[in-house]
Amino acid sequence: MRLRKIPAAVAACGLAASAMATAATAEGRHASGGSLTVAGVIALTGSSDFEGQNQVGGLYPALYAINKAGGVLGDKLVFKGVDTRGDPADALPAVQQMLATTSNLVAVAGPDTSSAPTIVPVLNSAKIPMMAVAGESVYDRNTAPYFWRLFPPDAANGTAMTLWAKRKGYTKVAAVFGTDSGSQGDKPGVIQSMKALHLTLVANVDLTPSQPTYLSSVRKVIASHPQVIMTESDATTAGTFFGELKQLGGLVPIVGTEATFTSPWLTAVKGALGTSDFLKDYTGLITAPSKTTPAVKAYQQAVTAVKGQEPKPWQSYLSNPFSITYYDGMVSVALAMVASKSTKPSVFNNAIPSVTNPGKGKMVVYTFAQGKAALAAGKKIQYVGATGLIDFDRWHNSFGNQEAVKSAASLKPISLGVVTAQQIEAVPVKGA
Amino acid sequence: MTAWSYYIATLTVYFGVDVLAALSVNLQFGFAGVVNFGFIVFQSVGAYIAAVVVLGPSSGTFQQYVFGARLPFGVALLLATAAGAVLSLAVGLFSLRNIRSDYQAAILLIISLIATQVVQGYVPLFNGSNGITGVPRPFGSLPLSLQGYEWAYAGWVLLFCAVAYALVTWLSRSPWGRALRAMRDQEDAAAALGLNVTALRLQVFVIGGAIAGLSGGLLVEYIGAWSPDAWGYAETFVIFTSIFVGGVGNYRGAVLGVLLVPIVFLELPRFLPQVGYPGLMDSMEWIAIGAIWMLCLYVRPQGILPERRNRARRASGKAAIPAEPAEQMEPA
Amino acid sequence: MWSTFVSAVGFGVVLASIISVAAMGFTIQFGLTNVLNLSFGAVMTVAAFVAYLANSHGVGGWSDLAIGGVAGAALTLLLGRGIFKPYARRGAQLFEMMMVTLGLSLIIDYAVQAISHNNIYQYAVLPSRPFQLGAILITHTQLIIVFISIGVLVGLLALLRLTKVGKALRAMAADPDLARACGIRTGQIVVVTWLLSGFLCGLAGVVYIINTQSVGYTTGELFLPLVVAAAILGGAGSPLGAVLASLIMGIVTEVVSAFGSDSYSTVAGFGILVLVLLSRPGSVRGGQAGHTQLTL
Repeated sequence: MRLRKIPAAVAACGLAASAMATAATAEGRHASGGSLTVAGVIALTGSSDFEGQNQVGGLYPALYAINKAGGVLGDKLVFKGVDTRGDPADALPAVQQMLATTSNLVAVAGPDTSSAPTIVPVLNSAKIPMMAVAGESVYDRNTAPYFWRLFPPDAANGTAMTLWAKRKGYTKVAAVFGTDSGSQGDKPGVIQSMKALHLTLVANVDLTPSQPTYLSSVRKVIASHPQVIMTESDATTAGTFFGELKQLGGLVPIVGTEATFTSPWLTAVKGALGTSDFLKDYTGLITAPSKTTPAVKAYQQAVTAVKGQEPKPWQSYLSNPFSITYYDGMVSVALAMVASKSTKPSVFNNAIPSVTNPGKGKMVVYTFAQGKAALAAGKKIQYVGATGLIDFDRWHNSFGNQEAVKSAASLKPISLGVVTAQQIEAVPVKGA
Repeated sequence: MTAWSYYIATLTVYFGVDVLAALSVNLQFGFAGVVNFGFIVFQSVGAYIAAVVVLGPSSGTFQQYVFGARLPFGVALLLATAAGAVLSLAVGLFSLRNIRSDYQAAILLIISLIATQVVQGYVPLFNGSNGITGVPRPFGSLPLSLQGYEWAYAGWVLLFCAVAYALVTWLSRSPWGRALRAMRDQEDAAAALGLNVTALRLQVFVIGGAIAGLSGGLLVEYIGAWSPDAWGYAETFVIFTSIFVGGVGNYRGAVLGVLLVPIVFLELPRFLPQVGYPGLMDSMEWIAIGAIWMLCLYVRPQGILPERRNRARRASGKAAIPAEPAEQMEPA
Repeated sequence: MWSTFVSAVGFGVVLASIISVAAMGFTIQFGLTNVLNLSFGAVMTVAAFVAYLANSHGVGGWSDLAIGGVAGAALTLLLGRGIFKPYARRGAQLFEMMMVTLGLSLIIDYAVQAISHNNIYQYAVLPSRPFQLGAILITHTQLIIVFISIGVLVGLLALLRLTKVGKALRAMAADPDLARACGIRTGQIVVVTWLLSGFLCGLAGVVYIINTQSVGYTTGELFLPLVVAAAILGGAGSPLGAVLASLIMGIVTEVVSAFGSDSYSTVAGFGILVLVLLSRPGSVRGGQAGHTQLTL
């Protein structure tokens, strides 16, 4: 029967191709003057494509800074995008094809929340270090040795928002979240921490994205008389909703998740509310510090240097908390490679905490170039990144304080206060 | 070497699942003239049901879903197939009527949009937009290496394909199959001869739906996760394009089409150098799918491998695609 | 409770105005050519982008409406003559033609995505204040949109009833063979149909983004089923029917949203479309003469 011949043909092709590929395995050769690949496993298209843009916005500057300082052990770093399309069914063959064809793969930025459960085991057994952005709380107690997470879990951001609202004296909260997966992922953390901190949820509204109007939802929110609105949704939806909210006279202070402090959302809501109301009423909770430390300065210089390659508008990545986190992740990996004098992932993976976590006698560095020079001089280093202190715990998580910021007219963050990691951890919230 | 092996194994599993999908769609469209543009919903219900019965009860915090019965995998696959059949029975009773086929296609497409909205909106059902994750793999405790497991699963899926292929081929050669073709080609005459056209259509729809549900169950047990992003209405187009390319109304053509379109054509761009900004290549891929679709409709609507019977029809100058019986009877 | 209902009705009228411009365009096109054109939404998105480009180059506010309309008309004519007509000549029937429009919508949507780099762009017109009309809270911009749709309706009805071209359009929609036999130049009338419905399509796209204040490649994604529902519910080819049907769709959507959950308002809209498709006369295979052929 013809059917049986087809899988045989497929298998034959596979064997022929794998024979060709035998010379180049995924373990990594090291020849000076060559290149090393960093893969971005993230949604580059589809409804979550902004995640891909956030990532690229931070990785290009990282690679630029690393290569400018001479690269890693003589090799330059190169970016390769691996599109998950935001779902695990597409992510799996994409990642496997990458593993099969990328001979000099050293690290992965990602995987994203939606594909993590499927992809983390694959990358872990292929021994590729991942600087993941998976927000699920199940990774709070991660045991995969190649998994590293610099992002706070989704629940932590929600808890920070609620702590901030409580600090401001608000008790009546309206939750306005889009039904897209990114927003829904952050919602349980908000709702649960509200319960734990005894704030009252007066309205709980889910917005289907990209509708022409949300008037009835707006009216529901107004009728519930909230003191503050906690929100995340995509930019278009937010613009339409908050514009109609203001026009119908129901504008109250808004507290947004970290995902709201990105250029598309800020631009949409600023346009909808008008600049003065936007500056007055919006607060976002983000992980990156708004103060300009030397690390932040170096990051912003790197962004400016690669502005031609960045997705438009390039200025938005100067203070994009996601991009900054990706930058720090890649710099940490590069420093680990230099410190262990190897580009083989199975060798340098365990060196990652040694270049980032605080410790006795360590010299604090703020850029890759500084770190490389210090290591060459025989010192131990602690990389304090653009996101601040990095301290990986035994589950390979590092999340620091969060900061409440308002946005300037130029969309730069202006600090309003800090919510510390200890305060966040003290709130009893079950996994989201 | 190993990395290639995993990749090819995954592609083989996807190939098998898509073959089941194409058989389902072709059974409904090629043989009964039912345009199931909502196909993905039936695959999806199979996937969701398989996932939620295999998992333990929902804790409500990590993810919310119904059922959660921790049943064995074989039972889960059976339930997935049954779910596909039951849902297509419900949808079929409601929407399979003697209406013009563009309306019918639109109805089934809209039903898939409604399903997406309902699942995303009502979170306690299948965890909304985030979907269900953590579905354990069948027979994970067998003494197989990781690699061996992948190929064993691929073989398992291909086994189902072979069974389904044999089933639909046998069905179409049977008197039942002949009745189907009569209904497709000359519906009024068939009804006049006493064939219960409505019942026939419903039967085809349900069998196709069962196969679709099975394909969903097999897929979710391999990937371990399932979310609305994985079953947009565009997935149905890929299957339809496969049939158009490979050959409408015959199953060898369906298999060929699945090999060419989702496997070869959609995987090929990964091997090309990345042009432009990240994500540009993917947009181009979809544009290309649309273009292939339109090209096939224009140049060779019957596909590469035509249905055997069509040779006689083409000789007499009639269209090879099942056409509206009404138009055939009106003067051109 | 009552005031919630009344304000939902008010919101429904606003939504209906946005739907109705598109629905009137769709119904004219569908009524005459019989093509179930699922690329209509994609053309709306393209016209919205053209209006955005004009706006960002300083061409202000309300003249964007005309620009978007012209863009829609031009693109629709191009598609009608360049794509739909050749397929019809190859023997495509109703169903194959719908599939062609589906493939076309994929191409156009992803081409827009590729060119726009997946970005969303701001489209702010004039800031607007609300005012109270009884229990209904409405803004200036929304009121203007309502007036635009009324204006379009009046203009269309005048065109169809009072002008020669309009009479020819109605004749062709009712019975193309008879119209041809009576000497009506069907080729030209089809061109008029593309231009007119395309103009309304483009206009609808701009009206849409005036309300949502942003434009991206996903603009109008979920909008098309509402438009198709309104057009078919109101009867193919009847602008007044399209407007009445839009009112029903808009009000049902907003009332469901006000009293139930917002996620289900779209389900309600889709559900109406399904019921409409199942139950309208002219749905039946081999129905009346005017409904089973393509006129291109």
